[in-house]
Amino acid sequence: MKRLLFCLLLLAQGYLFAQETQVSGTVTSSEDGLPLPGASILVQGTTKGTVTDFDGNYSLDNVPADATLVFSYVGFVTQEIPLNGQTQVDIALETDSQQLDEVVIVGYTQERKVEMTGAISVVDLAPLEGQSMSSGSTMQALQGRVPGLFVEKSGDPTGASNRILIRGVSTLGDNNPLYVIDGVPTVRPEVFASINPSTIESVQVLKDASASSVYGARAANGVIVISTKNRSRGEGEKFTVNINSNISVLSEKKQRYDMLNARQRGEVLWRASVNDGADPNNAFGEIYDFDWNGDLSNPVLNSVAVQPYVGGNTDVPAGDTDWQKETYETGYVYNNDVSISGGTDKSFMLLNLGYLKNTGILKYTGYERYSAKFNGNIKLFDDKVKVGVNTQFYTSNETLASPDVGSAPTPGLAITLAPTLPVFTSTGEYAGPLGSGYSDRNNPVYMQYINRWDNTKRTTFFGNVFAEINILKNLTFRTSLGIDHNRFHRKDIETTVDNGFITRATNRLTHDTNDYSSLTFTNTLNYNLETGDHKIGVLLGTEAIKTDLNSIRSSAQDFAIETEDYFTLGAASGKRTTDGTVSGSRLWSLFGKVNYAFAGKYLASFTLRRDGSSRFGEDNRYGYFPAATAGWRINRENFLSESKLISDLKIRAGYGKVGNQSIGDVARFGLFEARYGPNQNVYMPDFFNIYYNVGTAYDLNGVNTGNLPSGFVSIQAANSGLKWEETGEVNIGLDFGLLQNKIAGSFDYFVRNTEGILIQPPVASVLGEGKQRFLNGASTRTKGWELSLAYSGTYENGLYFAVSTNFGAFKDEITELPEKVRTAYPGTAENSIVGHSQFSIFGYKTDGLFQSQEEVNAHASQVGARPGGIRFVDLNNDGIINANDRDFLGTTLPDLEYGIRIDLAYKNFDFSVFGSGVTGRIGLDPYIFWNNFVQSRENAGLGVLNAWTPENTNTDIPSLSLVNNDSQTSDYLFRNNSYFKLRNMQLGYSLPKELIEKWAGMTNLRFYVQGENLFWITPDNYIGSDPERTDVNAIPVPTTFSMGVNIGF
Amino acid sequence: MKTIRTIYYTFLAGALLTFVSCSKDYLEYDPKGQVSEEDIATAENADGLVTAAYAGIANDEMIGPLTHLWVYGSVRSDDAYKGGGGRGDVPVVDHYEQYNLTRADDDDDWMAPRTWTNFYKAISRANFALSVIKDLSEEEFPQKAIRMAELRFLRGHSHFMLKLLFKKIPYIAEGLSEEEVLEISNDMSNEDLWNTIAEDFLFAFENLPETQENQPGRADKSAAAAYLAKLRLYQAYEQDENHQVVNINASRLEEVITYANAVSGSLEPDFANNFLDGHDNGSESIWAAQFSINDGTEVGRVSFATGLNSPHGTALYGCCGFHLPSQNMVNAFKTDGDGLPLLDNFNASDMADTEDFTSVDPRLDHTIGVPGRPFKYRNKVKEDGDMIYSASWARDPGVYGIFGNMKEQQAPDCSCYVKEGPFVGTSKNVDFIRYADVLLFKAEALIQLNRYNEALPIINQIRERAAASISRPLEAGASDIYNIESYPSFSSKEEALKALKFERRLEFAMEGHRFFDLVRWGEAAEVLNAYLEEEKTKRDFLANAQFTAGRDEYYPIPQREIDFTGGLYKQNPGY
Repeated sequence: MKRLLFCLLLLAQGYLFAQETQVSGTVTSSEDGLPLPGASILVQGTTKGTVTDFDGNYSLDNVPADATLVFSYVGFVTQEIPLNGQTQVDIALETDSQQLDEVVIVGYTQERKVEMTGAISVVDLAPLEGQSMSSGSTMQALQGRVPGLFVEKSGDPTGASNRILIRGVSTLGDNNPLYVIDGVPTVRPEVFASINPSTIESVQVLKDASASSVYGARAANGVIVISTKNRSRGEGEKFTVNINSNISVLSEKKQRYDMLNARQRGEVLWRASVNDGADPNNAFGEIYDFDWNGDLSNPVLNSVAVQPYVGGNTDVPAGDTDWQKETYETGYVYNNDVSISGGTDKSFMLLNLGYLKNTGILKYTGYERYSAKFNGNIKLFDDKVKVGVNTQFYTSNETLASPDVGSAPTPGLAITLAPTLPVFTSTGEYAGPLGSGYSDRNNPVYMQYINRWDNTKRTTFFGNVFAEINILKNLTFRTSLGIDHNRFHRKDIETTVDNGFITRATNRLTHDTNDYSSLTFTNTLNYNLETGDHKIGVLLGTEAIKTDLNSIRSSAQDFAIETEDYFTLGAASGKRTTDGTVSGSRLWSLFGKVNYAFAGKYLASFTLRRDGSSRFGEDNRYGYFPAATAGWRINRENFLSESKLISDLKIRAGYGKVGNQSIGDVARFGLFEARYGPNQNVYMPDFFNIYYNVGTAYDLNGVNTGNLPSGFVSIQAANSGLKWEETGEVNIGLDFGLLQNKIAGSFDYFVRNTEGILIQPPVASVLGEGKQRFLNGASTRTKGWELSLAYSGTYENGLYFAVSTNFGAFKDEITELPEKVRTAYPGTAENSIVGHSQFSIFGYKTDGLFQSQEEVNAHASQVGARPGGIRFVDLNNDGIINANDRDFLGTTLPDLEYGIRIDLAYKNFDFSVFGSGVTGRIGLDPYIFWNNFVQSRENAGLGVLNAWTPENTNTDIPSLSLVNNDSQTSDYLFRNNSYFKLRNMQLGYSLPKELIEKWAGMTNLRFYVQGENLFWITPDNYIGSDPERTDVNAIPVPTTFSMGVNIGF
Repeated sequence: MKTIRTIYYTFLAGALLTFVSCSKDYLEYDPKGQVSEEDIATAENADGLVTAAYAGIANDEMIGPLTHLWVYGSVRSDDAYKGGGGRGDVPVVDHYEQYNLTRADDDDDWMAPRTWTNFYKAISRANFALSVIKDLSEEEFPQKAIRMAELRFLRGHSHFMLKLLFKKIPYIAEGLSEEEVLEISNDMSNEDLWNTIAEDFLFAFENLPETQENQPGRADKSAAAAYLAKLRLYQAYEQDENHQVVNINASRLEEVITYANAVSGSLEPDFANNFLDGHDNGSESIWAAQFSINDGTEVGRVSFATGLNSPHGTALYGCCGFHLPSQNMVNAFKTDGDGLPLLDNFNASDMADTEDFTSVDPRLDHTIGVPGRPFKYRNKVKEDGDMIYSASWARDPGVYGIFGNMKEQQAPDCSCYVKEGPFVGTSKNVDFIRYADVLLFKAEALIQLNRYNEALPIINQIRERAAASISRPLEAGASDIYNIESYPSFSSKEEALKALKFERRLEFAMEGHRFFDLVRWGEAAEVLNAYLEEEKTKRDFLANAQFTAGRDEYYPIPQREIDFTGGLYKQNPGY
């Protein structure tokens, strides 16, 4: 270490000449006034020169008084300044093209975008702001905008995303990327989501392993690097105030499913019953009065009427309820934030306060968040030392969709509940199912109402304190102590319920809390040297991460009064239980990186990281993650320097390795536990697991109550050989700019192999309880490409026009999977998932409907086959339709994702439209279950009115039946659900500067309106509404209209 | 300036060194609140491990039950229908009821495969405790012999239950490595497997005390004797590869009598006591799964095995109307003018409407909800008459009829009840073996040995107790339609056997034994297909049900278990 420093120092001081005069100054960028660290200054005609320090300062000794200095910096126009006796030369360099000057923070150092050699997308932040404001989440606004970044939204008022993937999937477990915010890593996307976009300086998506490997552990799924503003602009004393305000209106009307009304459902139930050879009065006589001829061989329905009362109870007149209409309401989002930022040449601060409220489209849901950010730094000791902080604080409170008494979520009930149930009884109570014929499900409006006091609070403190010390010229030491702390508190109040025949006699309060904290201590040494054509950057660093999680759960029951204020644990008169767990992990890493550039043309970079993890045993504790990349900026070659067409051209290639340790904190140990009396739901949440005792306590004394004798049980088998899962990736890329970069683009191709994937496969039951273990047992390969292409130009009439597109394609496959764990995945022993995507759907192929009994007889024998029924294909031609006729139907992850954005600006108006889509995937169209089939307890969609009958054969809706619904996984249910969606359209107007300057020195005043999730295009046979709604038990992603204002002083 | 620089270097070097030197300790993170196998294997913890093994046999899963086998033993027989909200409600049980197990459905993982897994979990708890206790000395652990006997009893119980369901099962003993366990196939001969399981019960019988002082939850000598009687009775009916009974082994029957005589117990004076809270571990309860409530666990260590089976249409209960008596079962409670069951033509006419119920076995009112009759010996809970069973309590009368499930219910205001979500759990124990069962094991053995006259008083003892069990329903306002008498005599072995089989059906109606009785007697196909032929004319949902002899007597070995052991296990015929 010391020897290396010594060598570098020698190198830096090896060019000393005889003294004449001393010149010093500062080099900044003319565009934003930011200092340019690492800019080179050369005395013309000599090899004498230097580079600027971190703050853009330089100093040259022994310069002839008549010399000419050459200032150069990649991406900027080179300037020659004759000294003419000056000793102080401050210069602002002009950028030599609009898009190439970006300095981004990747992997503990700053790099210029033009010199990056990994697959890194620098996100264009400007268009995100409006969209971030309406959802309260920058993450959601990224959807469709970055090639290779896949974001699946949820409709929850929190703005959380269901799924975030970079370049698809590479492992079988956790595929979430790592976030590095101001140098502090976190795996919690909500921290990023909570940062007000106006305070973000840059967002980079590190996609390939060569780019992310310096982050080593946890970087296997890609890294999103976020920097928030904390840099002085170098303009002397200056402060600005920015105010952003937005109000949005949210509606899910376009996302609804069309369902039958009360009378239509009666007709359909009649038809299905007689098709099954049953008198509909038997099963549905308490709900409907069927007037029919009673002849099953030639059934004729004269009329059907809804019985006047539910379950014969005269207090409950039957309804004709549109449950979606009753369960949802118009939602509003109010989002406001104010920032004050600025400083002097020696200091900077940013203060941001934000408030977000989403009233929720599902009744009695909502989300509220207060956020605050303080960033600041100050320079000491002749600017040799810089100390500062970056902090993000937020506290949020959410109430989301609730399950009913039987754990069915309300969004699903809003679709399926029978229309004959009214919302309210005639006495003003919430109505519920009564009598025979109804499902054991509750009124969703009532369920939302009784859960209105439930909430989850999250309070996060995130940030770091840091110091940067210029030890020597070009050598910087940086130390940072970061914290990611979250306090989680869920309150669940279960009131008593009296809802038709569904009751709950006991009330209960549960508090679920946990404290999560992750401390990151990072120390780096950064050395930059530019001499002649050589430019070298060296980084050495250490990082220690200590993560702890502490959770406590308490509950009590029997509360005499059911008010929100009374539900406190102390007020309970019934039994109480508490439970808690503690876990944690440690990471310790060493890393180094060398960047080398020759003449700004030939670029190379090497990194190596060594991670130690407490999750692995001593023998396998450390993982080594190397990477190497190279790049060639062809446009800097002489033969292209005069080109009018090509303004930028770079090819890059890289290989890198990253690690994954996403297993339990103590996964390697064989463990026993005292499990007094939990149910399995505590360990593996699932509806029926609530009713599954897995404890060790037992009433040996036969007294039925009191403290029970108890014991111990095995919960996990040991695997001391557990080791790092490793991902290796090759990436080849091309960046180009044409016609002064009016056209710019980038292409990447990658192959990623993951080996030793950490899985916890099921084991033979004979091994007994708690004998599952983690092991390194599978491999996957993902291949793909990404392309982004953009055009921008300003016309003579002042119109600015820009169009940008992005495309990302990938294909994942499992290349190795131990034979005995294959049954845990789709497929069979003969036709296994190996060679297919882990998101493959395995099922039957179908071939239309049987049109006659003759066709049924001629077909392979198929359980439940009937005229009008779905015909399954006898894939193996053995004359019988069974499990062996299944095959891989496709995958639920798309082959290709793409996005397109058009921006127009004219005078003071700006307009943008943005859409994105996916293609080449199949998905469960959930509406088919209701639109194409009838269930005896649930409502159906309108499609069943057009079901097959001997008279109506030109249809793909099967003959109605209550017992023969062919709901096996098949291509009838899983259909192509490619789509293109118009996600955002925005129109803005900025008041003229001359006008607003008079108003208290205002610098910016812009109004805008925008719409989101506006319309979509789906394939013909896709019948559902929003193609992104693949789970009916989740709140749909609403259509949003908003207006807002940006004010700057 | 120099000083500052020195400070930088010192700080930097110090920071780096500190990290490098302490990284080894820094990366040690030990589990919290959990212990290793070595730390658990001590005399202090031995009793806890035994307790955990007991808990294992009662760790019921609603969709993979261990105690009350209504799904396997009752719905699959002529006693009961699946019930619930139509055939599509928990479809896996509909497939069981229709004997339609060969289709590859997404719900294959529910029920039988889970029960397989859960019993092997219970076995592993017993085996681990055994392997720990084996290594302890009598000085360290004075109860060593008794506890080992209890553990072997528990292990025997789990294997026995698995064998009833799957026939061909791997028998897992204690102290085996994982590799050794994975090499054990399910190919042991039927006879050897019975004997191997019997070894555990024999060890228990020889080492267990007559009673377990104040700990009725533990197995005692009587429980072991009762289990041996049961096992030897099943074993006596020797089956071929296709599950057909080919021989009845007389010496096994003799053993049944011997062990049944070794059981100490007595019938409850009132049949109802067996099914009411407050009578757990009574004189008739020979071996039962213990459940408890208000015991420090969040919900209570209650049984949810029958949680789906509460009456559905009344707000007093709520959900979900599963496990309902067949019309055939209702008809079986008819008695003739002599107070005897109509052994041959009980099903000739239906007891459907109130006026059809004129002469019945009193056990009807302990077993089945009949419109107009008090439910669970009660007339009211909140208001007068609200506990009178009504057709509106039935969830899906058009499909599954109007009769209700009563035996496994308690009154809605019982302190033994807990409602969690839509389902009701109860702290009422589930009896595996009642003394009545032991008596009828013995009677069956005697009849098969042609000593049917010795069986007569036993069967009559059961009937007399039934006759004496009328006060509770009458006090709740039931009309007295009871007519039950003892058999005067048996004229032949055949007649006695018919009476014995019928008595078992009435006594244990809907307790989950019936299907296993039919398979034991080798008449499942014959009885069930005859039942379906008639029943489908009354309930159209049974139109396509058909029992296939040589296949449907047992469940298929779960495919995943065959896969996990690399094809080691042999599948049952027909699957």
